[in-house]
Amino acid sequence: MITLTYYPGCSLKTSSRFYEESFKAVFSFFGIEFKELEDWSCCGASAAHTIDELLGYALAARNLALAEREGHHLFAPCSACYNRSLITNTKIREDKELREEISKMLSPLQYTGSVEVKNIIEVLHDHAGIETIARRIAYDLSSIRFVPYYGCVLTRLMKMDAFDDKEDPTSMDSIIWSAGAELVSWPYKMECCGASKTLTNKDMTLKLSAKIMDMAVSLGADAIVTPCPLCQLNLDLLPYLGREERNVPVLFLTELLELALFGALKGTGSHIISVDEIVKKVKRKCNALE
Amino acid sequence: MDDLGFLHEVEKATGEKVSTCYQCCKCTAGCPVVADMDIYPHRIIRHIILGNRDRVLGSKTIWTCLQCTTCSVRCPNDIDVARVFDALRKISVREGKMAEKDAWRFDEIFLESVQRHGRLNEMEAILRYKIGKKDLFSDTRMGMGMLMKGRMGLLPHNIKDKKGMKEIFRKIEGKKVRG
Repeated sequence: MITLTYYPGCSLKTSSRFYEESFKAVFSFFGIEFKELEDWSCCGASAAHTIDELLGYALAARNLALAEREGHHLFAPCSACYNRSLITNTKIREDKELREEISKMLSPLQYTGSVEVKNIIEVLHDHAGIETIARRIAYDLSSIRFVPYYGCVLTRLMKMDAFDDKEDPTSMDSIIWSAGAELVSWPYKMECCGASKTLTNKDMTLKLSAKIMDMAVSLGADAIVTPCPLCQLNLDLLPYLGREERNVPVLFLTELLELALFGALKGTGSHIISVDEIVKKVKRKCNALE
Repeated sequence: MDDLGFLHEVEKATGEKVSTCYQCCKCTAGCPVVADMDIYPHRIIRHIILGNRDRVLGSKTIWTCLQCTTCSVRCPNDIDVARVFDALRKISVREGKMAEKDAWRFDEIFLESVQRHGRLNEMEAILRYKIGKKDLFSDTRMGMGMLMKGRMGLLPHNIKDKKGMKEIFRKIEGKKVRG
């Protein structure tokens, strides 16, 4: 039964297409059904609210209105889409004046505020569950060291509750743990990667992303795991941003689950920093249950 | 020049109680890009309170901010500092005082692409930005690398209801004109 409306956002159809392939493979394994939002549009990202706050709300609200007709939760794997949709949703529910203003902008579309916005970590917890994940893993990741990298916009929310601790989240840690991988604790769970400055201030993205990569390398991590497409891209672009030191691959959270469930990655060819070494380290579990 | 209305203007634009700041410096201490700022974040807040309008609106700081919101979640007085900076950018642009134009220009181009297609056309937005900067070739290697890995969208992704999307932008423009 379909219980989720999937909102891809621009990234999962362009720069992070392999993230879509990856989560689809994992979801189908766990029987999580979803339907892509019909005629979805850009959430406005960081650009819209910077230029005009109301435009930022209106762009995100358009997708919420479309999702309301489907009657399911809106599932946004991209952290920025999740952040903008969630903030807009909360604002619209709390602020009647804004709700009316947005209605005028969207008309004939209507939005009453009934949709719930979910990110990929929540969906994995609620629809698969860490016990199930732990039971179904077929490959041994215990010799591979992962650092969890959440990025800024997933939990750092103002004037509203976040689904996890705002500055020390652990919800992704437990998924990594349940997949049987070695979880390395580190101080850069939430450090900023440089966000959207990659084009307008390349040196800043290089400096910030390199700091995160340096920490991962110095802790002996084999890979960084993230749910965020922009974080993944910025860190993966480090060789092109001018970094000459060693890099470790940057996997999407569902790619780590791909390794644990299938022993291989669909998106091997899309990674700029090669994932070959860690794929080689994955071994078939001798006592695989299923 | 001291502009005592400035604090009120910023508080009204953001809904944030800027005047509650007691200079604990947590925002500055946690900022990942403070080294690239000309005025520390906690000092920007103090300058707002003191009414040093031009100093604030002409600062590099408001453009250096990445909107990572570390400062905001750490503020003991619950001031959304990142949101204040976001509002300061808008006022700075309106008054032509911006110390840096690139980030704003790119955001405009980004939105023009969304207005046209309903979704971002990466290639179009990047080329338009680069042509505007008269700097087409500085990131060629990165661009080619992304293309080879299938990580750059080439063709526009048009939504079906392009008319509805243009309508949203038109209504926003209309609101601005009316004030």
